[in-house]
Amino acid sequence: MTATLETTVLSTVDTAVELAGVRKVFGHGNSAVVALDGVDLKVKPGEFVCLLGASGCGKSTLLNIVAGLDGATSGELQLNTSRPAVMFQEPALMPWLTAARNVELALRFAGVGRLARKRRALELLELVRLGDVADKRPHELSGGMRQRVALARALASTTVTADGAPALLLMDEPFAALDAITRDVLQSELLRVWETTNTAIIFVTHDVREAVRLGQRVVLLSSRPGRVVREWDVTGSSDSVLDEINTHLREVISGHAV
Amino acid sequence: MATPSDTLDKVGAGLDALDAPVEAQKPPLWRRFVKTGVPPIIAFALLLGVWQALWASALLPEFQLPAPVNVWNELIRSIGTGEAFSVLWTSLHRAVFGFIAAVLIATPLGLLVAKVRVVRAAIGSLLTGLQSLPSVAWVPAAILWFGVTPSTIYFVVLMGSVPSIANGLVAGIDQIPPLLPRVGRALGAGRLASARHILLPAALPGYLAGLKQGWAFSWRSLMAAEIIATSPQLGTGLGQYLHNGSSLNDINMVIAAIFLILLVGIGIELLLFRPLERAVLRARGLTGAL
Repeated sequence: MTATLETTVLSTVDTAVELAGVRKVFGHGNSAVVALDGVDLKVKPGEFVCLLGASGCGKSTLLNIVAGLDGATSGELQLNTSRPAVMFQEPALMPWLTAARNVELALRFAGVGRLARKRRALELLELVRLGDVADKRPHELSGGMRQRVALARALASTTVTADGAPALLLMDEPFAALDAITRDVLQSELLRVWETTNTAIIFVTHDVREAVRLGQRVVLLSSRPGRVVREWDVTGSSDSVLDEINTHLREVISGHAV
Repeated sequence: MATPSDTLDKVGAGLDALDAPVEAQKPPLWRRFVKTGVPPIIAFALLLGVWQALWASALLPEFQLPAPVNVWNELIRSIGTGEAFSVLWTSLHRAVFGFIAAVLIATPLGLLVAKVRVVRAAIGSLLTGLQSLPSVAWVPAAILWFGVTPSTIYFVVLMGSVPSIANGLVAGIDQIPPLLPRVGRALGAGRLASARHILLPAALPGYLAGLKQGWAFSWRSLMAAEIIATSPQLGTGLGQYLHNGSSLNDINMVIAAIFLILLVGIGIELLLFRPLERAVLRARGLTGAL
């Protein structure tokens, strides 16, 4: 296994993330599973990219590699951003900490001083309109509110570096476990936060409608192994693109029928 | 005219208002007392009544079943002479020192077993097994090793409580949802920061349960050790007091000693562990058992 993964930070910032020929194999020998096979992807600073694919297409694996939680088997990853923040399907807040303390935890790991931590955490909670419940604990909040606290925490962990490197937010189906109305509200909340913070976002989903609504660009991945099938520019798009993407996604899935 | 995003904002605000937690009104103090304080008092009074009735029926001879009032008089006598306090002090300070030593030994031990695979494979099941071994079983061996000295007593106390505390910590760490340390890594926590800010607080409920059980084991091991190992060198603890009562065929003294042993157990539980446990569980929204 040769790992030629390099992480370099360039000063010229026209791409925030660049993946070149990223390959990920789980296991060895006969039982090896190729999760990702030669994935190329470029994300510009401040761009909102949706990764779309059926289950088993390696969306989450790709996200973990960009997040640094997992290493690629081969290929290159270039990050021109501050430390990427990750949001999961579950809010995964620390149940013993208040909303504000949960956000502060991210800042504490980044070595931010106590007072600055408090101020920044409150700012971020205000940004997701949860300033009023800063002192509540996760069990006192609804699922949607928790996920917004998680969003504030993720933003805290990516925007701490003040050296001008663009921020990067990685989201792994963050709204999949929410009810339809809450999801709707959170999607518009996320768009608002994205516009105000100018953070690059890679958003993983299996919901075509969500991908088209949120993203500027939708990238369709095939399953087992995951490869980039096609991309669409979906800014200001109409229903016809939605149908087109849907058709392609169905093709990718039916290709696996035996 | 309202834009779609304005409408959604309103929907969001409405959802938040609907989801906002409702502050539960705390009932007044006297009502809480009636709810939590009165039932045990009634139960105790009933027990006393049954005891009194049994004694009055004279089914058992006086030297086996004393009148409640005689036991009460024995308690008053021992408190009056100061015997009760010196006996309680001897036992309590042994139990507390033993317990603190057990915590200091068991905590790193538990961390090692939980986090180092080889250590768990080597002594994990031994530690669980030791929990089911009554610590009284160590008394004869300890007397042969250390003689009838305080070392014997502390050894038995440690053997009783260390496995419980260590196992509690191991269980607490094992039950941490794997997502939490992962989130910690994603937020940039190193190993130490992760242990300090995520693993230890997350394991706290299990650890606390272990401490509670560890205290109970150390108290009962101490009593067992004191009853069996008696010598002038050891002074008189509660166990020896009980043993003396038995030797003197003084049932009043025996029952009074049992009462005192129970009193310490209940007292420590109510004054120390219950409030601690409540605070920890309540902070996590685990109010089911409270």
